[in-house]
Amino acid sequence: MVITSLVRQSPLEKATSIVDASQSYISVEDVRKIYHTADGDVEAVSKVGFDVASGDFVSVLGPSGCGKSTLMMMMGGLETVSSGRIVIGGEPVTAPRADFGYVFQDATLLPWKTVLDNVLFPIRLRDGSTKKYDERARELLDLVGLWEFRNKQPRQLSGGMRQRVAICRGLINDPALLLMDEPFSALDAISRDDMNAALADIWDRFHKTAIFITHSIREAVFLSDRVLVMSRRPSTICYDVRVDFPRPRRMELQETQEFNELCGFLRKKIEEGNKLS
Amino acid sequence: MARVQSQMLQQAGSTSTAAPKPSAGWKSGISMRAIVLPALTAALLLASWEIAIPLLGIPHALLPPPSAIAARLGQLFFPLILKHAIPTILESLAAFIISSILGVVLAGALSSSKAVREALYPNVVFFQLIPKIALAPLFIVWFGIGSESRVAFSIFISFFPVVIATLAGLDNVDRELLRLCKALRASEWQVFRHVRAPFAIPYMFSGMKIATTFSIIGIIVGEFVTSQAGLGYLILFASAQAETELIFAAIAVLCAFGLVFYGLVALAESTLRKKLDA
Repeated sequence: MVITSLVRQSPLEKATSIVDASQSYISVEDVRKIYHTADGDVEAVSKVGFDVASGDFVSVLGPSGCGKSTLMMMMGGLETVSSGRIVIGGEPVTAPRADFGYVFQDATLLPWKTVLDNVLFPIRLRDGSTKKYDERARELLDLVGLWEFRNKQPRQLSGGMRQRVAICRGLINDPALLLMDEPFSALDAISRDDMNAALADIWDRFHKTAIFITHSIREAVFLSDRVLVMSRRPSTICYDVRVDFPRPRRMELQETQEFNELCGFLRKKIEEGNKLS
Repeated sequence: MARVQSQMLQQAGSTSTAAPKPSAGWKSGISMRAIVLPALTAALLLASWEIAIPLLGIPHALLPPPSAIAARLGQLFFPLILKHAIPTILESLAAFIISSILGVVLAGALSSSKAVREALYPNVVFFQLIPKIALAPLFIVWFGIGSESRVAFSIFISFFPVVIATLAGLDNVDRELLRLCKALRASEWQVFRHVRAPFAIPYMFSGMKIATTFSIIGIIVGEFVTSQAGLGYLILFASAQAETELIFAAIAVLCAFGLVFYGLVALAESTLRKKLDA
């Protein structure tokens, strides 16, 4: 229950990694991202380095615009790195991978397809036929309580329901790594709490490595095994903390003193990160 | 005359009282209203037209009442009008089919290559803005006075809406959807087949619905100029003989054809959408 292994980061030093580099599944090495715009170069991500062990749920927490989504895009192969490299599973990331799952801030379902077809869409693209995955789609939709909506169209669902479908879609191909970019930011507070509980449940079932981008401290602490705090742009990882609350995580955890202390602690670190840039 | 008038009034009156009022307990209330209300309005307009002619003393050669038009239509449909309707219908359909195919293919080509797009699209828009009807005689010069020139002209004026509408659909795909496809490692063809094409279909059909009207206009204008056969020719012929009732009868048949044509395209749209959703 106690917060362990607090590692203090100085913004200019490379992170002293919590994870032993040789064991890591994900290795982010001295990554920088510069956007070349008409108004000049914008350094979104300054110098980020960390390792992630297989099976960990890692949140990247930071204020809006700090480049955390950019970091996830680079890890997922959707953006190129300006310098440095990202190695996942022993191979450098150059493009999106078949064993990744993606969940974006907008559910982005195909509006003319049913819920079931949307969940099976990645399989459709990869294999042509989806027969072998019908069972898995059913399992996933059951888990999020949407099996009876399988033949509905996205416009008939609420925002929270659409995002649940998007999560099922992200898990359909049994990915080794799940990348989620602020998936609940567009939802209202109550839906967001529901989704956090649902994701924690799913996590217990389908234990994968996950990178979860958010600007909500409570969300990050509730869901994760580890929280990386990003500073403001040009951003670095300014804090890195292990979250050792026992699993399965239940909503009641958020009432405990330890939980709120950790949240307060992280809030201070975010403020420090804001001042440093 | 008075008896005819009162009969018409009675008919108009009975039409309006015979129409059922949509009520709360009626399940199909809304869809019935969508049909009944405009039908009622049309009936009222026709009735006013019918009454106004004798009431205002308008000569039939200037503006015949609906009853006279209907009578002429019944009298001349099989012996004369149908014979001329057939070439118009066939040529309009041919022009529509060719211009739809050409339009969709061109839109596909424009959307697939940025260079092609930048080179051709401004020219397409420029051509769209030319008053193309004025070019009809030019087509006679190029293609002669046969059906080729009429169909070519009709294609010329009706394929632009298809290109522009379809291109708008292919281009306006949600960027988030495209990013999703990139994340799922979809090929260009897969993105087209699964995302761009289904997204563009409603746009394409709205362009095609416009093209139905333009393809008919193109053939009619062609018939005005070449004066051989068809409903356009019939209208010219009738106006030369001051047979206004025949003009209106021909127009009525043309309208009926236009409606059926549009309805067929709408039917094709809903069928295709259902098929693609599978």
